[in-house]
Amino acid sequence: MSFTWKIGGEAGFGIMTTGLLFSKIASRSGYHIFDYVEYPSLIRGGHNAYEVHVSENETTHLNKTIEILVCLNKETFEKHKFRLTSESLVIYDKDEFGIISDYKTINIPFKKILSELKGQPVMKNTIALGASIAVLGGDIDVLLKIIEEQFSKKGEEIINFNKQFANVGFNQVKNNYKTLILNYLTKRKSDVKLVMTGNDAFSLGSMIADCRLYVAYPMTPASSVLTTLASWQKKTNIVVRHAEDEISVINTAIGASFAGVRSSVGTSGGGFALMVETVSLAGVTEIPLVIFVSQRPGPATGMPTWTEQGDLLFAVHSGHGEFPKIVLAPGDIEEMIELTAKAYNLADIYQLPVIVMSDMLLSESHKTVSKKFVDDFIAEYKVNRGKISNIKASTFAKASVDEQNFLRYKITEDGISERLIPETPGSFYQANSYEHLEDGHTTEESAPRIAQVDKRARKWQTYLKSDFQLPKIYGDIDKADVVFVCWGSTKGVVVEEQKILLKKDKASACIHFNHMYPLDKEKIKGIFNKKKRYILVENNSWGQFGKLLLQETGIEIKEKLLKYDGRPIMAEEIINKLT
Amino acid sequence: MSTINDFSGYNPTWCPGCGNWGIGVAIKQALVQLNLSPSKVGVVFGIGCSGNMNDFLNAYAIHSLHGRAIPNAIGIKLANHKMPVVAIVGDGDCYGEGGNHLIHACRGNHDITVIVHDNGVYGLTTGQVAPTALKGFKSKSTPSGIIEIPINPLSLAIGSGATFVAQSFAGDVNHAIAMIKAGIEHKGFSLINILQPCVTFNKINTYQYYLQKVYKLPLNYKKDNFKTAVEKSLEMNEEKFPLGIVYETDKPSYTDQLPQLEKKTLVEKERFSDFEKLMIDFI
Ligand SMILES: Cc1ncc(C[n+]2csc(CCOP(=O)(O)OP(=O)(O)O)c2C)c(N)n1
Repeated sequence: MSFTWKIGGEAGFGIMTTGLLFSKIASRSGYHIFDYVEYPSLIRGGHNAYEVHVSENETTHLNKTIEILVCLNKETFEKHKFRLTSESLVIYDKDEFGIISDYKTINIPFKKILSELKGQPVMKNTIALGASIAVLGGDIDVLLKIIEEQFSKKGEEIINFNKQFANVGFNQVKNNYKTLILNYLTKRKSDVKLVMTGNDAFSLGSMIADCRLYVAYPMTPASSVLTTLASWQKKTNIVVRHAEDEISVINTAIGASFAGVRSSVGTSGGGFALMVETVSLAGVTEIPLVIFVSQRPGPATGMPTWTEQGDLLFAVHSGHGEFPKIVLAPGDIEEMIELTAKAYNLADIYQLPVIVMSDMLLSESHKTVSKKFVDDFIAEYKVNRGKISNIKASTFAKASVDEQNFLRYKITEDGISERLIPETPGSFYQANSYEHLEDGHTTEESAPRIAQVDKRARKWQTYLKSDFQLPKIYGDIDKADVVFVCWGSTKGVVVEEQKILLKKDKASACIHFNHMYPLDKEKIKGIFNKKKRYILVENNSWGQFGKLLLQETGIEIKEKLLKYDGRPIMAEEIINKLT
Repeated sequence: MSTINDFSGYNPTWCPGCGNWGIGVAIKQALVQLNLSPSKVGVVFGIGCSGNMNDFLNAYAIHSLHGRAIPNAIGIKLANHKMPVVAIVGDGDCYGEGGNHLIHACRGNHDITVIVHDNGVYGLTTGQVAPTALKGFKSKSTPSGIIEIPINPLSLAIGSGATFVAQSFAGDVNHAIAMIKAGIEHKGFSLINILQPCVTFNKINTYQYYLQKVYKLPLNYKKDNFKTAVEKSLEMNEEKFPLGIVYETDKPSYTDQLPQLEKKTLVEKERFSDFEKLMIDFI
């Protein structure tokens, strides 16, 4: 069983909160969810919509068909009716706009109820939730409990006032639309689940990894990392700085990381563009840094609240000069937790910038994650700070001035040199933006220049040997008629669409990359050595990963499914491509 | 006790007669007099002739990007607020390329000391005009004379919330030492603008020029008065250069106001581990 519930209304009237509440209601009722928000880049007056895909099984994608559409205004109906079928249920207020034929309809007199009970406009949402639970055969107590939690600080009276709207909506359906009631949300047993977005997952992953400083400047769709971590400051003692611009953001983080504190920054493409000079600084000074880049459609300001995978090549090639960096692109919430925490270790082990890529779809959509998965991950995760010098003060005390010159950039086989945390007594060193000698002093000589370039480059070899992970393969390539190649957030829809294909007796496989750069040419060639129909699936217009794969491995995927209207790819679109 | 020698790295490569020599000595001397050692101080250098002090001064240091020393210094301070942090920058670096950072560092009263080598030109890129140059200053990039009026660093900083603003002169090393010491000892944001003759590219603002135009603030000068401090700063617009602490006031610094840092520095804190507290938000 799976269904899509969608609510829409005017921006500024609590659609987002209501959508999240529905996701939590479904999760607490024992179901898996994946949700998606649609909103324009304004605060009032535009159209907001929120859809939740609910399933008995894990889900990471959206379906085209909407089973229940809650229309808080006419625009919702007009904008989304193309996704309805004759079996779809439309909840709306007859008094506000015309009769809708062709679908099953439920009339909820929102306006009348509000005026009778003296409610505020936002309380329409509570009525809608009550009605939705009723028509789905769910338990109203789940919503009532959430209302109690939400208003716990405001007292009994407010709680009861809000509860009545939920009950009225619920009873409207129970009393008048018995024949339409479904059993889609009947309570089922399941383990405890967390309802999280990719940004939540990056935030939690950062805390798990012992990140102590997060610096950012708000930019959709990365902003909620800033606000979430800021709201956790009291609980966790993390320091969050909202700096004057993205240049200050990344340079603050560089300073703190130099001083020994795990630090990260987050932004979208435009903000990242401002940071890029300092990505290069992190590269040459070998200062660890985690950079969260959540993509939205560009160029320039683009479509701020929509989704795209348009910055992969920009991230991979970011920064002037030649220096190593690592780019990761988690495919879902679980991977976001794992790879975020891993990114901090990689940054410390290899002493370089690590970019964690997301996009609006992954950053702002919620998905249910088993709490046990997170608990187990926390128990297993180990902070690895890499090579930090444990030279004791006494070693230096008797040393001559020369010996005090710490070889911060010592030439090593694996390319990694020991770091020294500032204030370690008896020594000092400079992290130098200029090309430098082993001890950090500036040089323009040929031999040490070559030695340092080569040393830094060796970190990539070490990484490819020790920490690079090949793409995960879903399905069996040998048996597959078609092999999809994708990266990052498109994993969910591709894997889902494989299941649909399987039902039609079509076997497919999916090669999903999340360790984006650098790539291990030989190992990857081994995966692509079968004669198959390969299709590249990306949420952009250039097929950027296809280009990267060609550049790094010589593998070219000719057939492509590319979507770049700002909307995520839907399973049906992939199926259509095949026929 | 540390000595000047402990702080001395390579021999400087500045032009003979450059004001940076005086500033370099003053910085080292101030650090010695404050009883600091190279392992006890964090320094961030900008990019410029001034920033080239990176190889001449021993410390835990970042030789940063052009214009970005201030946010680096803020980061070091956030990580380890018990360590004194100094930014050594040029006027192009700090008032031009990184001007935005200066304003916001003042606002935040970040406890860092910013030492600006004010020479009116971009020394390292061979003499183009800097934002501090007088209107009409002719340089390679402004052959007909600069159209803009100069920035007034002192009033800019005071107006932006800096809690310590001083001016000194590279030709008076003892004065510079006193200002740098006071700046580092001050809790909160401190700016020290040091008038620095560039003997190679600035034929206007020479030692002789400054010797005629600088004067020391009198002993009875009240440095905690905002209005007089702004008035004093504005004298620079008439080519009168007050030397001394133009403005100083006592306000909590940025890190003073972070309850997270009350007991320990960020770098020495224990790891956070109570994840249940975070996960309840998601149920
Ligand atoms: C982003 C960037 N732009 C330009 C430069 C070139 N550059 C190096 S130093 C400098 C100006 C130096 O002037 P100032 O900051 O006044 O320092 P001074 O050399 O006079 O001490 C410039 C423009 C650079 N390094 N980085």
